[in-house]
Amino acid sequence: MLFSRNWLQTFFETPLPQAEVLEEKLTFYSSEIDEVTAVGDDMVFDIKILPDKSAWLLSHRGVAKELAVILDLPMMNDPLQEAPATFAETDTVTVNTTTPTCDYYSVARISGVTVGESPAWLKTALGAIGQRSINNIVDATNYVMFHLGQPLHAFDAGKLVAKDGVNNITVRSAKDGEEFKSLTGEEYVLTTNDAVITDGHTDTVLALAGVKGGVGSGVDESTTVILLEAAHFERVATRLTSKRHKLQTDASKRYENGIDKTLAQYGLVAGANLITQVAGGEVVGMKSVGDEAITRRAPVSVSLERINSIFGLALTQAEVEIIIKCFGYEYTFKDEMLEVTPPFERNDLVIAEDVIEEIGRMYGLTHIVSIAPTPMAVAECNSRHFYAEKIRHALMGIGFSEVYTSTFRANDIVKIENALASDKGYLRSTLVLNIKEAGERNISYRDLLGLTAVKIFEIGTVFGSQSEEFRVCLLVQSGTSYKAKMDEPLVAEALTTLSEVLGVTPELLSNENGVVEFSLDALLSQLPAVTAYEEVLSSEAIRYQPFSVYPSVSRDIAMWVDESTIVEEVATALLAAAGALCVRITHLDTFTKDDRTSMAFRLVFQSNEKTLTGSEADEMMNSVYSVILERGWEVR
Amino acid sequence: MKNIGHQHPLSKVIAEINQIFAEIGFVFAEGPERELVKYNFDMLNVPVDHPSRDMQDTFYLADAPELVMRTHTSAVQVRYMLDNKPPIRMICPGKVFRNEATDATHEAQFFQLEGLMIDKDISLGHMKGVLEYFFSKFFGGEVQVRFRPSFFPFVEPGVEVDMKIASQEGNKLSGKWIELMGAGMVHPNVLHAAGVDPKTYQGFAFGMGMDRLAVMKYGVDDIRLMYNGDLRFVNQF
Repeated sequence: MLFSRNWLQTFFETPLPQAEVLEEKLTFYSSEIDEVTAVGDDMVFDIKILPDKSAWLLSHRGVAKELAVILDLPMMNDPLQEAPATFAETDTVTVNTTTPTCDYYSVARISGVTVGESPAWLKTALGAIGQRSINNIVDATNYVMFHLGQPLHAFDAGKLVAKDGVNNITVRSAKDGEEFKSLTGEEYVLTTNDAVITDGHTDTVLALAGVKGGVGSGVDESTTVILLEAAHFERVATRLTSKRHKLQTDASKRYENGIDKTLAQYGLVAGANLITQVAGGEVVGMKSVGDEAITRRAPVSVSLERINSIFGLALTQAEVEIIIKCFGYEYTFKDEMLEVTPPFERNDLVIAEDVIEEIGRMYGLTHIVSIAPTPMAVAECNSRHFYAEKIRHALMGIGFSEVYTSTFRANDIVKIENALASDKGYLRSTLVLNIKEAGERNISYRDLLGLTAVKIFEIGTVFGSQSEEFRVCLLVQSGTSYKAKMDEPLVAEALTTLSEVLGVTPELLSNENGVVEFSLDALLSQLPAVTAYEEVLSSEAIRYQPFSVYPSVSRDIAMWVDESTIVEEVATALLAAAGALCVRITHLDTFTKDDRTSMAFRLVFQSNEKTLTGSEADEMMNSVYSVILERGWEVR
Repeated sequence: MKNIGHQHPLSKVIAEINQIFAEIGFVFAEGPERELVKYNFDMLNVPVDHPSRDMQDTFYLADAPELVMRTHTSAVQVRYMLDNKPPIRMICPGKVFRNEATDATHEAQFFQLEGLMIDKDISLGHMKGVLEYFFSKFFGGEVQVRFRPSFFPFVEPGVEVDMKIASQEGNKLSGKWIELMGAGMVHPNVLHAAGVDPKTYQGFAFGMGMDRLAVMKYGVDDIRLMYNGDLRFVNQF
């Protein structure tokens, strides 16, 4: 949620510190900050409010309270400090709730309002946190929601039916198939698990409870009398309604995070007062149903010893008491036993660990002191990891490269309910198809990488309808031209190597066209237990170099040279002549016949900027031919 | 034959992680990638119909509402505690899944490293010590760790972990704080659900992205390269 520094300032007499200081304090004592932006003369913080604190921290009052504790700065006016105010009851409206998902519903009647533009301060405040100004009434309800965290909704009383001058609001379960059109025009078909606010005299749906207002009862220029709603809807029911209709709103988000029902009482008065301030008129009175008792939270006890044992610290009772005092909680602290009674809005303080966290974050988590671990042997070794490593290193020793491929396939046995894309709708039941695709993809890179064959393997999980196992799959594709062939002799060599290293011959699940697969899990049962890991040799520092996405072009060249000429000398000369776009030169063969020595090389050209054409490669080869001529070598 | 092959960077990272943690007695544990909802969420104090479930976008399996592709290796915490009595020192490197659009820094499948240490007196101080030990060995050079307040349903207190590698010439990662992962003290509800008495035992858990470790260690610029089988990438390792 976005928070305005100017808005936060309204809670304090003393000027708040600069934005950078606030950012740092909030980061280390409260919540992560995604971004800080300047908006006019204001600074706006995008604070990541996590689910545990969303019931009270999704409001400027919540963050102001955090700042009061962190900065040890008294709040000039904490709106939740005193018991909630009320208005006199009015007979002009009656309220009923017939659904258990609404345990408190209140409405204030305000007459004589003039709907119009909001005053500048209100527009600026909402604008700073990215909220568009609608009109003074709607803006006032939004302001209170972002101020206190309590959603409000204003109905135009003139659009409701009055019998003998009395309106009726009824909160009930929706009927199966009942239609609801939101104030922004979207249509929804409701179920009996949704709750709706209705005009009790006509049974017309006015709003989807806890989520959004409906079309036809909203405030417009002609409105003079409003019914302002402040209610409490059950968190899970609101969440399910919001999910069912894919409609998450600022209001539903607050209800599903469990804002307390007491908050509605504060919200109603704050909303009604703000409306009369910005739109004129007067509060006729209010009506409410449901439990009005202020939520009383159960005390939470925690010992000083437990606090210290969680953080690895040695705080004294006096030190902890200084922190706990800053929160302004009701507490007792006797003989190193702390008992805290959380305020009504703090639904996140239930067990000892919750209170320990509060103390820890205000003490400063950065002050936690490292305790170095003690070396000790592992109780057991992971044989799957051990043998997977053995297989890897055996295959790498004969030139194989290890690949990781996707768990997802376009089609297979096990289907994903909510796939990312149609070609990722299933879990793989074999590694064979993936490795074949990887093999094909890599054929064209052989020259670039200086490979005579693509030799790859994967060790990974595959899925049957019930089963899940680790498999090993390897592939060889060789050939002297771009028409690669599957090379079974090289596969046989790899299998022999594995049998030698493991002492057991893997039983193959498949062996076709240069691709074999076997189950690592099945193999493990035949292998000896592992008592110690082999040492991992720390490799030299590797830094990955981004590679060109464009294809490479290869040119072969063969020449006669003197018998005394060495390969490196020729290669160096050719590489220099070929220019910067020659990214690899591979020595293909050397043979001597009739006192003359032939050497053949493959030069690979590639650009970082484009696909090279054949004629561009030929041009670069012309420089190579010139150098060959200069050196007295003879192109064959 | 001088033709020596190449090990995938994630395999390298897993092997190094295991070696570093094995020296301080952390066992390499495992669990299935297709996991029961009860291990992935319920027993980790992530109640059904609670906003905390939205913190991870989940892949569900067709016709099997009791199953998910595990969204984190934390599921293995529960399995391990059910099978092993404290003291516990455990790591679990493994593949996890999130139903998120992919880009250069996000993959719908990636690897996580879970760590769990439980005994009678294990504190956040021990976690700081273990993480500093690990990062120092893994990245080479002295590494500092710091905590910031955060929230994950399966820990309380929950923290965000940052690390800083001591300044090294030519090392772009060094000398600055880098946000790395979530961690905290295992929530009593999780201990209880996994058969460990929270009155007697306590400890920490952490979960970090291993792809991120590989990206940082090797300077990889696109995480998707890890999973497309392209030898232009793998053969650099």
